Amino acid sequence: MDPKGRNEPYLIVDIDDSLTKAVLIDRIGGDYKIMGISEAPTTVDPPTLDVTVGVEKAANDLSQKTGKHTWEDKRPSRAQRLLCSSNTGGGLYMMVAGVTGMISAESAQRAALGAGALLIDVFSFSDPRPDFEMIETMRSMNPDMFLLAGGIDGGAVNQVLEMAHLIAAADVKPRFGAQFQLPTIFAGNIEARKRVLDILSGKKYAVQAVDNVRPAIERENLGPAKEAIYDSFRQHVIIHSPGYERLASWVDEPLVPSQAAIGNILYSYSMERKANLLAVDVGGTTTDIYSVYNGVFNRSLNADIGLTYGISNIMKMAGVEKIMRWIPKEMGEREVRNIIGNMMVLQPASLTPDEVLVQQAAAREAIRLAVENHKWIASRLKGVKTVRTIADIFGQTLEPTYLDLMKTRVIIGRGKIFTQNQISEAAIVLLDALQPEGVTEMMADKLDVMPHLGMLLKTNPDAAKQILLREGLSRLATCVAFRGRSTIGQVTMKVRMIRSDGATSEYEVRFGELKTIALGGGEKATLEVTPRRGLDLGMGRGRTLETEVIGGELGLILDARGRPLNVPARKDILVMWKNSLTMKQQSSP
Amino acid sequence: MSGIEKNRFERDTWIRKTRRISTQGQVLVKTGDLVKPETVVAKGTVVNPDVRKVIIYGQLDIDPDEVERYMLKEEGDEVKKDEVIAIHRSFFGRSTRVCRSPVDGSIMSFSKSSGSVLIRGMPIAVEVKAHVPGKVVETIPGEGAVVECKGTLIRGRFGVGGERVGELVIAVARRDESLTEELITNELKGKIIVGGSTVTIDALRRAASLGVNGIVVGGIDQKDLTDFLGYEIGLGVTGKEETGLTVITTEGFGAHSIEEETFHLLKSYEGKQASIDGSTQIRTRMLRPEVIIPS
Repeated sequence: MDPKGRNEPYLIVDIDDSLTKAVLIDRIGGDYKIMGISEAPTTVDPPTLDVTVGVEKAANDLSQKTGKHTWEDKRPSRAQRLLCSSNTGGGLYMMVAGVTGMISAESAQRAALGAGALLIDVFSFSDPRPDFEMIETMRSMNPDMFLLAGGIDGGAVNQVLEMAHLIAAADVKPRFGAQFQLPTIFAGNIEARKRVLDILSGKKYAVQAVDNVRPAIERENLGPAKEAIYDSFRQHVIIHSPGYERLASWVDEPLVPSQAAIGNILYSYSMERKANLLAVDVGGTTTDIYSVYNGVFNRSLNADIGLTYGISNIMKMAGVEKIMRWIPKEMGEREVRNIIGNMMVLQPASLTPDEVLVQQAAAREAIRLAVENHKWIASRLKGVKTVRTIADIFGQTLEPTYLDLMKTRVIIGRGKIFTQNQISEAAIVLLDALQPEGVTEMMADKLDVMPHLGMLLKTNPDAAKQILLREGLSRLATCVAFRGRSTIGQVTMKVRMIRSDGATSEYEVRFGELKTIALGGGEKATLEVTPRRGLDLGMGRGRTLETEVIGGELGLILDARGRPLNVPARKDILVMWKNSLTMKQQSSP
Repeated sequence: MSGIEKNRFERDTWIRKTRRISTQGQVLVKTGDLVKPETVVAKGTVVNPDVRKVIIYGQLDIDPDEVERYMLKEEGDEVKKDEVIAIHRSFFGRSTRVCRSPVDGSIMSFSKSSGSVLIRGMPIAVEVKAHVPGKVVETIPGEGAVVECKGTLIRGRFGVGGERVGELVIAVARRDESLTEELITNELKGKIIVGGSTVTIDALRRAASLGVNGIVVGGIDQKDLTDFLGYEIGLGVTGKEETGLTVITTEGFGAHSIEEETFHLLKSYEGKQASIDGSTQIRTRMLRPEVIIPS
């Protein structure tokens, strides 16, 4: 803070394996603005072996762009606040263990994922693997941290002690060298705490105990475990990366994993908007899904599912035919396979048109796979007995997951697939992969500044929220889509749109069509949509939806392709869908 | 083509290979020793992954917390398969229940709370060979040594299969020629074959059945490789495939002529011994397959 009591400007840096990205934020008048963004290669690896070199380079680049002195006396200028998130070394590798897969291990997973970890395995006694296989798996992987949960407070202790014995027997070595102790957090039954510490402390584990992640069967308490993960991350993990100790001494707030910062800003946005939110982050190696439903935050991660290094794994998990169905031109299986193999092996800096098509097709499957996985994480607490009435049973109100596209107001895309291609291409990938229902605002993290804003959130929430709304999120479009299917050519939606100036226009959308209506970014309009009998916009089958919508760069999308979406065998239809996003419709009779 | 490319080859250069076992063991060479590819540099044992949980209280028909009294073995004790590790006599010795070890190994841990033991199988012997002919320039206490040799190093882009040594044979006339089944003749057993733009699935299968040590080609069809392996490669981490031979591509997937200079370089070494390794790790250590031809 400067002598005038100001906190600004903020130099915020996010460091991943390849890039160190610096953002300078300042207050101009009463408004916070991004003054500049710059990138430099990350310098954790040889020959530099000092993360601060990349930070300095990015900061100096910012100085040149903005005219502000961000670096002086071989360190960040004290005239600004320095905030930093990090995802180097591929992220925070964690293993978790619990007693029951669906209860304590699942809560432990949620804590680890919520803290931004890359989960490499989950162990429990409901695991089909025999003990020796679990031990071998534990010792064959070198995590950064271990989280052990198990048992409700005051409950039985035997099984959690057994799991502690297994971990002790495995003698798990940390990723950053066998000479270090593996940071291990026990967040299970308080009655077992002392004995678990006894079992593990004598071995090569740096153990700390925190409050139980599942103190009672119907209650989850993830906060203390997440905080302990952050502490261990700072004390044990990143400190082993070259230059981080110095960087940690410069920052004004403790370093956190990048994914945790992203989760924080998304949660804050959802709360601010009072809207359910689903965000997909498709990287080269991993695909993360974040969701906030009715105030409950969840993050899931599909490690090794991504669009460069992880692209072959998409093919392995989804099957090549699932990827090929999205490619809007005829392409042979061998050609597709070779393109995918080369994208994994070569990670080309620029892509040919065919490679772009294959990558976009793979992105849809990556998201589909990741969302399927997310449904399992984003669920109500399992093991809790719920009183069901006949109405509940028939109304199917006990669905296992919170995730419901009909109740999702905002979907957000992160990653190069959404920022480096045309907006229409980004939008069609989101539409096809997520298949939103009802009325959904589609956005993209165009500037890739969510980790930065997540870091700023703690220090200056107003600034973070202001920038997120004005500069961070780019509105692609608002989509209206019904649940259900009809016959090709039948009118499925009658739409009446009243713009803010009172101008009214009407549209009809036939089954199988995708229409785009011009409605500028931020422009509001009132919409009345009547679906055909049997189709549902969230109001009940055939019932009219009246709502206010906000435009985006593509305007308003009326998606009458039906849900679930059947991918057509005809490639010309895929081309038509893609093209229709760039063709703005006039009123239709 | 790629932002992650190193130099494709280094001609007549000094190559250092670190040879180490994954555990503490015995180093069998010393600095200054001359070694052959097959010279064992270090050997040791690694922990056996086979760990069996034996629930003793059930077999002895007692409560878990009573087990300790009836144990014949302690943590760390070696046991033989079928050896009695706990015994419970009742009714003045008329009824005897025993618990036996399911494997040769040692008692890894005993849990009083669950009345069970974990028994780990006997340690597994491991060794590492020099892989290249050369001189030991450094020893790593308990783990291995650094072997230096002069030669040519050619880096591939993707490979499967581990370290192999054999005579280099150029099986194609041109670098854009496909390595087909007819070109895999009986004389190529134990050799390392240099093909052209690609290798067919039939050629791969014939080479594997014949006992060819390795194939170096420009590219390979991803589907053919998948069919050959019998499974889809998900991640770019290879080297432990049990395919019977090592396959290295210099350019990637699909049919691609071996880069001209690389092909001529390989051709110039025909008849020489080569040490190859298909191990590839794209994400973490950026390990790429390599062909070493010692001078």
